[in-house]
Amino acid sequence: MREDYTYVVLADDDEDDRLFFIEAFEELKIQTKVEVYKDGIELMCALNQPEAVLPNILFLDLNMPKKSGLECLIEIKENNRFKDIAIAIYSTSASEEDIENTFVQGANIYIKKPSAFNDLKKILSDVVTINWQYHTNGLNKDNFLLRL
Amino acid sequence: MPFKFISNSERFLKIIFGVSLFVVLVMGGVAYRYIKELSNSINDVQHNYQVHIELEKMLSALKDAESGKRGFIISQDSTFLLPLLSSNQQIENSLEELKKLTLKDPQQQENIAELKEKIDKSLAIFEKTLQLSIANNPDSREFIAGFREGRQTMNSVRFKINEMTAHENDVLGLAKEKSVRRLSNAPMLLYYVLILSLLILLLTYLQISKNLKVLKVKNELLETFKKSTTQSEVISKHGNWIWHVEEDVYEYSDNLFRLLGEEPQSFEPNLENYLSFVHPDDVEKLSEHVSQMIEHEDLPFIHYRIIQKNGSIKHFKAYAKILVDADGYKRLLGTTADITDEIENYRLIEKRNLELERSNKELSSFNYVASHDLQEPLRKIQTFLSRLEDKEKDNLSNSGKLYIERIKASSSRMRSLIDDLLQFSRTNKSEEALEDSNINILIEAAKTDLAEIIADKKARIIVDDIPSMRAIPFQIKQLFLNLLSNSLKYSRENTSPFITVSYSKTNASDVPKVSHTKYNVFHTITIMDKGIGFDQDYAEKIFVLFNRLHNKNEYSGTGIGLSICKKIVENHNGYIIAKGEVGVGATFTIYLPIT
Repeated sequence: MREDYTYVVLADDDEDDRLFFIEAFEELKIQTKVEVYKDGIELMCALNQPEAVLPNILFLDLNMPKKSGLECLIEIKENNRFKDIAIAIYSTSASEEDIENTFVQGANIYIKKPSAFNDLKKILSDVVTINWQYHTNGLNKDNFLLRL
Repeated sequence: MPFKFISNSERFLKIIFGVSLFVVLVMGGVAYRYIKELSNSINDVQHNYQVHIELEKMLSALKDAESGKRGFIISQDSTFLLPLLSSNQQIENSLEELKKLTLKDPQQQENIAELKEKIDKSLAIFEKTLQLSIANNPDSREFIAGFREGRQTMNSVRFKINEMTAHENDVLGLAKEKSVRRLSNAPMLLYYVLILSLLILLLTYLQISKNLKVLKVKNELLETFKKSTTQSEVISKHGNWIWHVEEDVYEYSDNLFRLLGEEPQSFEPNLENYLSFVHPDDVEKLSEHVSQMIEHEDLPFIHYRIIQKNGSIKHFKAYAKILVDADGYKRLLGTTADITDEIENYRLIEKRNLELERSNKELSSFNYVASHDLQEPLRKIQTFLSRLEDKEKDNLSNSGKLYIERIKASSSRMRSLIDDLLQFSRTNKSEEALEDSNINILIEAAKTDLAEIIADKKARIIVDDIPSMRAIPFQIKQLFLNLLSNSLKYSRENTSPFITVSYSKTNASDVPKVSHTKYNVFHTITIMDKGIGFDQDYAEKIFVLFNRLHNKNEYSGTGIGLSICKKIVENHNGYIIAKGEVGVGATFTIYLPIT
């Protein structure tokens, strides 16, 4: 069953961004299942359910109330159960500090939220179709930030 | 060297003293011998004189006896015979005396024996002639013969006495000669010794006066030193103290009293009195330090507070070191400084630093607000606009479409403003360290970023080979990106832009508008274009934040790009200078120091 589609999860406190995210995947002709959570706590609760189905790709907004994306990232990387989840940072900021921190904590890719819907569609389509095995092996600080 | 001189002269004086002592002893010895010799001579003369007298006495006694005998013979008066009796005794005495006097002279002893014989004989003849005269036979031949014989023996006695006198004179003469020989050298010797003593005295005087002069100079130096120390104590707010270890006695300098807020030497300098000034919280600490000082005869740097009589609290710092002089006498030399001002300044600086840190934090949180919170709504506006365009385009009137275009242009301008502002505020020196950078590669990277516009405008960019230099790579790339895009942007219409980037070296003195710098030589990179140029009057103004020479409808831009360039160059301790002429082109020259 899981081979049929890619299971994508987003944690973002911004209602608009969640809407864009869902709409973009609706318009993309890719077999995906999309789930969204409105903050880090909600996300971690869902993931920590023993019978939870784990996503293939997890998109993390950094600036969230209660539990930030970075905190989620650290928690996920500490737990061996989540080792197969590819983590994409999905943030408005592209400050050196944020990029550095998330890279060091083991995120797989860093996406700066684009300001055009078509760009968003393209980025999401690229991320979903990435060969993660290949990408993760050759990961370095230069190709960590996804550029259009 | 002066101390060596003093010690040398001390040795010299010791030697001189030894020599003088010796000379005085010699002089004393010589004088003693001289006097002794003289008294010997006097003794000799006296002895000679006594012998003479005794001989004379004897002779006169003999003569008395003779003349008494003659008187008796002539007058037959027996009273004339009286001296005869006493002269016998006199002769006996004189002989005894002579024997004693000439005990050391064998020849005289012999002479005395002979004399005695002759006197005895003469006395015997006396007796005989006297008897004859008593018997009244003065005219007998026997009497006359006796008389003659008497005269002969008398002569021989006189002769012997003369002989003895002569002998005695000879002995005296010999002794005199001998002592004269011995004594003749003495006055000369004494004279020489005297001269020598005077010389030594003179030398000693010279040496001592020289020493005194040196000591005087040293004293003056010490006096000057003392005054300057007192002065420096007052200026630099410190006081000196001495602890005489053996006697456990303290000495405080005047200024130490002043530091305590007291009149100089107004109380007895001892530990108890001093501790009465110390801040109650520090008394224990200081006492501990002092007891350690007494134990180890050393005092490392310590800090404590004191309270002056007027209630003001001062911070003190003290340090001491042991000094052992040549005699093994131990003194602990201490310095106590009032560091209240230092500490207050330090606190002020600390406070300022905290304020600075806080304002820096505020700035960086402002950065975050700008980068994140301001961009987010803007991004949403843009995304919704793109959704509107995609989904609702057909439902919009033409003017509606125009308005959407205007909103799009405005929002993208706002985006570039935010981006550039962020870029400007992030261009900070402290963030990145200088590293050896290949400038050619950085320029190439900037060109790659501009590839699209270069292709659109068919621009030609010629770049010299530029040596590697110490720089912050991403900032230098940004610098060329901004300058090249500037040149591309302000190119002349209908002419493909032509930009040259050239390199040279410039001496510090030839860098314009720079009066003094710690660097000697500068890398000089010149970016020249044949674009629309600008009025030279604005050459300085274009580097000021948000300053634009053109209306934003003519040329897009935020007015931040060149400000970023200036900031980057200044981060590298360099200078950037613009030159322009309207319609001819613009030249930007960058001077970066060679380190």
